[in-house]
Amino acid sequence: MNEKDFAAKLKPWLDRSASQVGELQATRLKAARLRALDAYRQPVSVLGLVTVNGGTLENLRQAFLQRALLFLPLVALVAALTVQSLTDEPDLGEIDAQLLTQELPPDAYIDQEFRSWLGKPPG
Amino acid sequence: MRAPERRPPLATQKELSDFLAQVERRAFKQAVFAVHDDASALDIVQDAMLRLAEKYSDRPAAELPLLFQRILQNAIRDHFRRQKVRGTWTTQLSNLGTGDDGEGDPLDTLEVEEAGTIPESPALRLEQAETMALIEEAVKSLPERQREAFLLRYWEELDVSETAQVMGCSEGSVKTHCSRATHALAKLLRAKGVTL
Repeated sequence: MNEKDFAAKLKPWLDRSASQVGELQATRLKAARLRALDAYRQPVSVLGLVTVNGGTLENLRQAFLQRALLFLPLVALVAALTVQSLTDEPDLGEIDAQLLTQELPPDAYIDQEFRSWLGKPPG
Repeated sequence: MRAPERRPPLATQKELSDFLAQVERRAFKQAVFAVHDDASALDIVQDAMLRLAEKYSDRPAAELPLLFQRILQNAIRDHFRRQKVRGTWTTQLSNLGTGDDGEGDPLDTLEVEEAGTIPESPALRLEQAETMALIEEAVKSLPERQREAFLLRYWEELDVSETAQVMGCSEGSVKTHCSRATHALAKLLRAKGVTL
């Protein structure tokens, strides 16, 4: 008897051994199968070019969301600083009014350009 | 101009379900033969099923058997790696012995009977149950690579090239492992007085 014949005779015994798996194990195997099927995600076509499995796409989406959440505080900080810098800009109208009413702050006189401007003849 | 190659349709959830239902018990027995523990074997099969469903839903149904076997064998290897790290892996030495004892080819002398039928008499049923237990023990006692090659090639009916792919070795190695496994099994079963 050669190798293949021997294996062919052994196969039915192995098949029977598999079919006689205990009830508990069979139940657990079925539960494992159902759990796996639950994790199955329909393949998704990306721009009609490639097809990737749904799980991969979902993982990518989750990874992107996680990154986004990670950078959220940084973005918020930058936004807050930008808004603050915009609001801190001196109001030109207010300065003009102070200039006219002689209510300029002392800092205005320290400014060299302002002093030279004051020294300029009118017109 | 060549027509664009048509991709085979992807496996549907129903096809995946049918496939898993068809292979789950054999996969479980394969894992039991390898790790000698039902609970660990169940975990391995569950892990393999989950990985197949999660990561390979974009493959055609025809590719599922090969993919699943690769995942299953990797899961079994991972189990051994983890055990090795924990230092609890006890190697079960084969009691078959591979040396030539001058008795000739055991395959030549092994008697064969028709298997697969369920005998009516309790005595015969008991005899078959004992035979099955001895066969299982014999398969368990094979060295890891021999058992893997034998089961993939002759139980899962993969061809030599597919078996080599799953095992990550050459086709020549697969043939060698299969031959050694078959001879070792035949010798052991003959020594136990088992006729298939």
